[in-house]
Amino acid sequence: MLDGIFTGLSTAVMPFNLLMVVVGCFAGTFIGMLPGLGPISAVALMIPITYGLDPSSGIILMAGVYYGAVFGGSTSSILINAPGCASTVVTSFDGYPLAQQNQAGKALALAAYCSFTGGTVGAIALLVAAPALASVSLSFQSTDYFALMVLGLTAVAAFSGKGQVIKALLMTVFGLMISTVGTDVTSGATRFTFGSLDLVDGISFLLLAMATFALAEVVMTVLRREHKEEDQIVDMHALGSMKLSKEEVLHVAPTVGRSSIFGFLIGVLPGAGATIASFLAYGMERNLAPADVKKKFGRGALRGLAAPESANNAASTGSFVPLLTLGIPGSGTTAIMLGALIAYGIQPGPRLFIDNPDVFWSVIISMYFGNLVLLILNLPLIPYISKLLVIPRPILIPMILFFSITGVYLVSFNTFDIHMMVIITVIAIFLKLLEFPMAPMLLGFILGSIMETNLSRALVISDGSLAFLWERPLTLAIMSVAIVVLCVPPILERIRGTRTKRGPESAINEGEG
Amino acid sequence: MTITKDHIGGLVFLSLSLAYGSQVDTIRLLPGDELEPFHAQTLPYWLSIMGAVLSVALILTAERGSEHKLSLRGYDFALVAKLLALIVAYGVALEWIGFLLSTTFFLLGGFWLLGERRIRVSFGVAILFSLGIWFVLSQLLDIYLAPGQLFSGLMGD
Repeated sequence: MLDGIFTGLSTAVMPFNLLMVVVGCFAGTFIGMLPGLGPISAVALMIPITYGLDPSSGIILMAGVYYGAVFGGSTSSILINAPGCASTVVTSFDGYPLAQQNQAGKALALAAYCSFTGGTVGAIALLVAAPALASVSLSFQSTDYFALMVLGLTAVAAFSGKGQVIKALLMTVFGLMISTVGTDVTSGATRFTFGSLDLVDGISFLLLAMATFALAEVVMTVLRREHKEEDQIVDMHALGSMKLSKEEVLHVAPTVGRSSIFGFLIGVLPGAGATIASFLAYGMERNLAPADVKKKFGRGALRGLAAPESANNAASTGSFVPLLTLGIPGSGTTAIMLGALIAYGIQPGPRLFIDNPDVFWSVIISMYFGNLVLLILNLPLIPYISKLLVIPRPILIPMILFFSITGVYLVSFNTFDIHMMVIITVIAIFLKLLEFPMAPMLLGFILGSIMETNLSRALVISDGSLAFLWERPLTLAIMSVAIVVLCVPPILERIRGTRTKRGPESAINEGEG
Repeated sequence: MTITKDHIGGLVFLSLSLAYGSQVDTIRLLPGDELEPFHAQTLPYWLSIMGAVLSVALILTAERGSEHKLSLRGYDFALVAKLLALIVAYGVALEWIGFLLSTTFFLLGGFWLLGERRIRVSFGVAILFSLGIWFVLSQLLDIYLAPGQLFSGLMGD
């Protein structure tokens, strides 16, 4: 492991890669601050840029953007009560009241320290958990991989919120359907191309990700007339002190520790991302708090701010564990990174640890650097980065649209792709209006061809019999977990008879991190 | 009976799954493939069945309250349609008048549609931004940006 850490360290400390961490954190913070654009959109916008870089630098840049976007989301939650992404919605519950009490500086500093601690705990846990899990998963066969894909897809659906499970499953199937367009990798047969040469290679991952998470998100802000809303400009001189007293630090320390570990564990679960971790950590902390502190929750409680901030960053790191070791993304954002890695010709999974140790370890090490950059550089610069938000929306939106479109065009130089993006955006907007989550669709699309290849191998080996699902103990165990994950939440929901309100997890629809 | 978002979504996906399933037979198999346990039609076939079953399940378990009805009030569909039309036009313009001019016109159109009426600001930002991006792409990153068929034709390339 020590060799690996040094490999990662030597790659991560290369000046260019350090620059990527810094640039990624800044770009992510800025994009994350814009209401409506979350980590998924931020990472999607970066994909075309990373195509010109080597895989390690590309993934380091995207990881930096991911962190920065979560941090940027927290900043806009605290300063203007407009969460940039779903995973920082809870931050506004206590962060904004603190800002209203002229303690915005303290809230921002606490958020940064908690993010740093959460990210650090997450990075250390990742350092231990990822290689261990990777070495275990080296014994996996195609049947186990197929079962893992099924687990990944069902978990995303199961964690998508009350009343959303069937919709998320439908979107997963829709993503799998889209992945079948083009040439079949095993037989070479063309499928659903309707005679169009432009579809023979299938629909590109970049095009789908940009259309559903970058273009559609921006167009949705226009559709909701949010571009006409005037931003509340915060007086940066009235931020107040950024210092925390010793008593305050001691008051929140246990919360930060608990929430970081809890967040990491939630993040590791395939499908459960930073949003669910932040909501659960907040709920847990409120339940644990003594009566007098409990009353303060929602009115500017420091523990209420510390819990979600620690948990969402630890979960962001945790979601890299299934991505790097099993090739299954833990969240929507890591699903996009999975697609980008596949586009580089790198297959995340147990072999990544052996075949591309530089990518594996440098991502882990650079995450820690990312946390440091956020704390040392971003926090003091928040007043200045926030000024970028002064750019009027009618100017900013066409520019973001331009980046989304040309990001796809400059890879293929085919204007058909631009028209295809418009069609997919229209479909995405329609589905968003019907409250269908987008992340399961993208995950289904990305995992579709890998799942088909493994299913094909497994069926050929077992001579067409589905007995492989229960004959191999490991496959049976993973399939059983998938069934439990899928069936237990709806059954519990039925037992409790809570078919009234949808959970906050349905925020996944708004661009889950 | 109230038609809710879930009902509409279920019906749309049911139609999609049936249409998708109806096209499965059009996938050409290699000779002998039909005897294999897994071929190019297998996954699409099962996906269409799964899609149809889940769609029916969504329709049957749909939320029935009036608060779940699809409401299109308050949305600016006209502006979105114009913006998407502008993107399509940008795609066409890229081929004919090249990157620099089409990007400038796209940004000007976008600013105007979204309500920016300060002519100097619009032209200044659009021209400087387009020039800056063109310079980075073509001069710094050495990416070839075609001048557009119109100019290629005029210059006799």
